[in-house]
Amino acid sequence: MSTNQSRPRYYELTRRIIYVSIALAVIIPYFYNPKQDFSPSIEVRKVYDKVESLSPGDHLLISIDYDPSSEAELYPMSLALLRHCFKKGVIPIVMTPWPTSVGIAKKGCDEAVADANSMFGKKVVSGKDYVFLGFRPGITNLMLKMGDNLKGAFDKDYYGQPTQGMKALAGVSSLKNVKLLVDLAAMGTVEWWIAYGADKADIPMATGTTAVMTPDLYPFYQSNQLIGFLGGLRGAADYEKLLKIPGRGERGMLAQSVTHVLIILLILGANIHMFASQLLRKKEALS
Amino acid sequence: MIFKRTIPLLIVFGIGVLAFVQDYVPHPWSTAFRDEMTTWTMVIGGFAMFLGLYSLSHMHVTRIRRQMPGWGYSIFVFIGAIGMIATGIFSDIFGPLAAGTKNEVDLFDWGYDNILIPCSATVFSILAFYMASAAFRTFRARNLAAGLLLAAAIIVMFGRVPVSEVVSGWLFNDRMVIPNLSKAIMDYPNLAAKRGIMLGIALGVISQSMRILLGIERSYMGGGDR
Repeated sequence: MSTNQSRPRYYELTRRIIYVSIALAVIIPYFYNPKQDFSPSIEVRKVYDKVESLSPGDHLLISIDYDPSSEAELYPMSLALLRHCFKKGVIPIVMTPWPTSVGIAKKGCDEAVADANSMFGKKVVSGKDYVFLGFRPGITNLMLKMGDNLKGAFDKDYYGQPTQGMKALAGVSSLKNVKLLVDLAAMGTVEWWIAYGADKADIPMATGTTAVMTPDLYPFYQSNQLIGFLGGLRGAADYEKLLKIPGRGERGMLAQSVTHVLIILLILGANIHMFASQLLRKKEALS
Repeated sequence: MIFKRTIPLLIVFGIGVLAFVQDYVPHPWSTAFRDEMTTWTMVIGGFAMFLGLYSLSHMHVTRIRRQMPGWGYSIFVFIGAIGMIATGIFSDIFGPLAAGTKNEVDLFDWGYDNILIPCSATVFSILAFYMASAAFRTFRARNLAAGLLLAAAIIVMFGRVPVSEVVSGWLFNDRMVIPNLSKAIMDYPNLAAKRGIMLGIALGVISQSMRILLGIERSYMGGGDR
């Protein structure tokens, strides 16, 4: 009886300890920020190499398929990719099929444009060096439409400039003219972009997704429908490392290491407790 | 009956078959049909947002009017929605809340960056606490299958973070054993399981689509499958 009464209190106390431990495991290492050595994964390296192989003036489409809730994992990827494009002179075409993603997509473009000036000494201009197309509804139909007629799907960019005759979109009539499609997604759009975008237009595709979505990408990666992918914050950190421009991805690696180790220790501790309790009960039953 | 059932079913069948067939016909008419249909669906998609807005408003007005549990939160839905819509309209390039100088952001962007992004990210980040607590309470090696799952989870969790490379270096003479083991788990058992699940889902989607096209599945028309 006493055990049953003390159980909820024990669990309540444990829950609070876990919450405080997780909070400290995230906050303290994030501010400590030491230099860390880690090897970028092969999947991220393939995406980096593909962007690196593009020539100045080539087009890369970035679909922002995440909203502010996934900002922590996916925003560093957006920034790293855009910085890479501006560094190389590749023209990014940024768009989103989600209304809640417009602000975060614009924020990424604005920040990367400012970085291009301060980091590479380049003056990047909207409509000439990049284009932010904003939002259009339809999702899969939008993808199909872009495959047939990109300027028909987006007749104006986010700032109201007509896409017809826009310098940044010179030579681009449909997805077929894009050298690489990158889907940064926290929603189930990767499969749609593969089926309705990249496969139909026969263009290479890469993705950046939240860590929980990453295991779903392996079948597409093995079948070469994806040339590579950035998985979670680690994917962003790997890309930043390859680009040699540190960002929030790399900065979050120590916090992620400490948190993962803490969760592993908690799980192991709970299992040791369970086995010890079982042994004790068996011993008591025998005696 | 004919207007409520038969004609909608014929439209679904006709358009569904055309949309399916056009994919295999490389004729200009086929491409023009797809172009027209995608434009139509994008326009319909735009109007669907108004429907969503009405549905959301109706639900929360009902909650407030009936003073259902938690009705106070519904007031915040309207404060947030009206606030963002108003600032969005008046923050247009020539609006009174638009950016004044080159480096100033307009009020809509300010609200998005300083309210929506932090609030959404905070709510999502709470998951980390629940996941840690849930893992501690439920992730137990009660049998062989659960034990294997536990071992795989620990290897993947540890192998995905940079500290595993440091530990591997110490334990295995600079060979990346733990990260490679983590990658092998993702590359083979995970891939096989995911592919199986995806094939199952794809077959389910195909059969469900056929049921809708042939008028066997009618629940999307409302009133169940009568």
